[in-house]
Amino acid sequence: MSDRVLEVKNLSVDIPLAEGVLHAVDGLNIHVDKGETLCIVGESGCGKSLTSLAIMDLLPKKAIRRLEQLDLGGTSILDYSERQMSDIRGNKMGMIFQEPMTSLNPAFTIGNQMVETLHRHRNITGAAARDLAKHMLEKVGITAADQRLNQYPHQLSGGLRQRVMIAMTLLCEPELIIADEPTTALDVTIQAQILLLLQELQSEFDMGLILITHDLGVVARIATRVAVMYAGQIVEQGTVQQIFENPMHPYTRGLMRCIPVPGKTKPGEPLGSIPGMVPSLVGKFTGCRFADRCSHATDICRQGDIDLRAESGKMQAYRCVIDPKKMAKVA
Amino acid sequence: MSEVMISARDVTRNFSISRGMFRGKKTLRAVNGVDLTVKRGEVLALVGESGCGKTTLAKILLGLLPQTSGMVSLCGQPINAVPRLELARMVQPIFQDPYSSLNPRKSIGSIIGLPMRVQGVESAQTIRRQVETTMDLVGLPSRLFESYPNQLSGGQRQRVAIARALVNRPQVVVCDEPTSALDVSVQSQILNLLSDLRKELNLTYIIISHNLAVVEHIATRVAVMYLGRLVEEAETAALFNNPQHPYTVALLESVLTPEPHLGIPNTQLGASYPNPIDPPSGCAFHPRCVNAMPHCAARAPSGQTHKAAYVECHLYHGTETAKAG
Repeated sequence: MSDRVLEVKNLSVDIPLAEGVLHAVDGLNIHVDKGETLCIVGESGCGKSLTSLAIMDLLPKKAIRRLEQLDLGGTSILDYSERQMSDIRGNKMGMIFQEPMTSLNPAFTIGNQMVETLHRHRNITGAAARDLAKHMLEKVGITAADQRLNQYPHQLSGGLRQRVMIAMTLLCEPELIIADEPTTALDVTIQAQILLLLQELQSEFDMGLILITHDLGVVARIATRVAVMYAGQIVEQGTVQQIFENPMHPYTRGLMRCIPVPGKTKPGEPLGSIPGMVPSLVGKFTGCRFADRCSHATDICRQGDIDLRAESGKMQAYRCVIDPKKMAKVA
Repeated sequence: MSEVMISARDVTRNFSISRGMFRGKKTLRAVNGVDLTVKRGEVLALVGESGCGKTTLAKILLGLLPQTSGMVSLCGQPINAVPRLELARMVQPIFQDPYSSLNPRKSIGSIIGLPMRVQGVESAQTIRRQVETTMDLVGLPSRLFESYPNQLSGGQRQRVAIARALVNRPQVVVCDEPTSALDVSVQSQILNLLSDLRKELNLTYIIISHNLAVVEHIATRVAVMYLGRLVEEAETAALFNNPQHPYTVALLESVLTPEPHLGIPNTQLGASYPNPIDPPSGCAFHPRCVNAMPHCAARAPSGQTHKAAYVECHLYHGTETAKAG
């Protein structure tokens, strides 16, 4: 299929520490097609941000990345040099980070930074670049774009800065956008606007979008497909309907019970919770990583590594050996 | 039941903002004429976007910040007249980020016990006993007594913060975003704990949160703030089922519940939260309001009770002339 924007096979990220090697990401496979939104969801420390950094080859120096396959738009970029990667980043592959203030340079105007991007990646300069930048700011819903180009990041509100980031990312018409918690630092009202904007632009430019978040509400509303990560592995994946209407993995089910939903959960009644803590990923880990917190766990869970297994004929797959019928009874 | 714990009458807090050399100072009205009553056993949630003054209001209610004008009373006494120690015994805060609100160099036992020492309890034994009871109450194993904050997970740290707030058995607890720094699975544990403690200790909570799903779950009353004004206040169920103010409606629409078929809401709020130094004329919300009428820009609506809820909006005024200001 030529529609495939990104194909990642068998990604592992190891971080050597004094007390041993931390296996932060372990054997991860993901792919994104054109016009598709893949949401990677998980709690802090599950490896979701490292995954995005690994795809962009922006991991901290200490971290060791291992990969079987990394294709962007049908070409392997696995063996690209640093120089080649930096040509791709911000060009074919756009990035949006959580806190726009730290990813914009405070010492240059918005216009300067946008024009520089165009110069670096598309060799467009001068008035043409400025026009294009202005056009893109208007595209993301910024009024008085001409004046905004002359402003510095600190003069803009959080929502505006995130819009500028998106505009900047779109300048080079990337095939893929990786957004790491793009709305976490924003107010709820602004969050909805930014997500709506991302979605509209994505379908307009027919891009692939990887959205990394911990917020299941965001995932439900924007995702096409969902990958749930726990302790460095994908524990469940499927379409957004499958994950939210029929979650199979005990962790996914547990997460769903933890969130209050107006109109569904009863005010004042206790919410579900997941007891225990994420296990340490230093050293070799055998068996299910969720076993210690899982109410269904038995001895088989701890004996060998558990593969992601697909329901026959379905896109949904989960990493659990317990018979779902049995689980439904207990839950 | 209906004993009034905290009441605020026309509370205003101004900040003087320097706008640079030679440009003089401007006044930022962070809290602007707020009236509020919190009864014993209630959970009042303050909601609104960042910069709407909810934290400033909470600081005033905690007695950490004097109001510029207006009157705050605690159990019938003016809050400024209550001695500091007495106030601290009755009202305690829980902050958002348990990573920065705990002293990394102090052990858990000494962090939780500090408020007791401040109140003049000298016997180490009494302190230790009370700290351990409180740790047990919030679900912290007593073996953590000698541990340090960096040895604890985020959820445990927030439990320490809660234990510290409760060690002197206060009447009112002000929680500023108590769960927003936590993961969802931990958030639900902390919310459950807060509800249990309220019943057990007959506490009154004032909770500041931007997460309306959390607010719906835990609060009994909700006060919606916009640019320093209280624009709507009602019982939680009434507010969620039948919001009156257009701003409340927009806020509720932007809550993303995990329901895939609903898609992303279009709140039509426009991008800009106004600059609080230079607020819009008339009703501060009118530039973003879908129901704005010509006179909304001219004069501010006065508050009124509409269907058992307090609401401040021209929509519910009919032809009554509102006083400007």
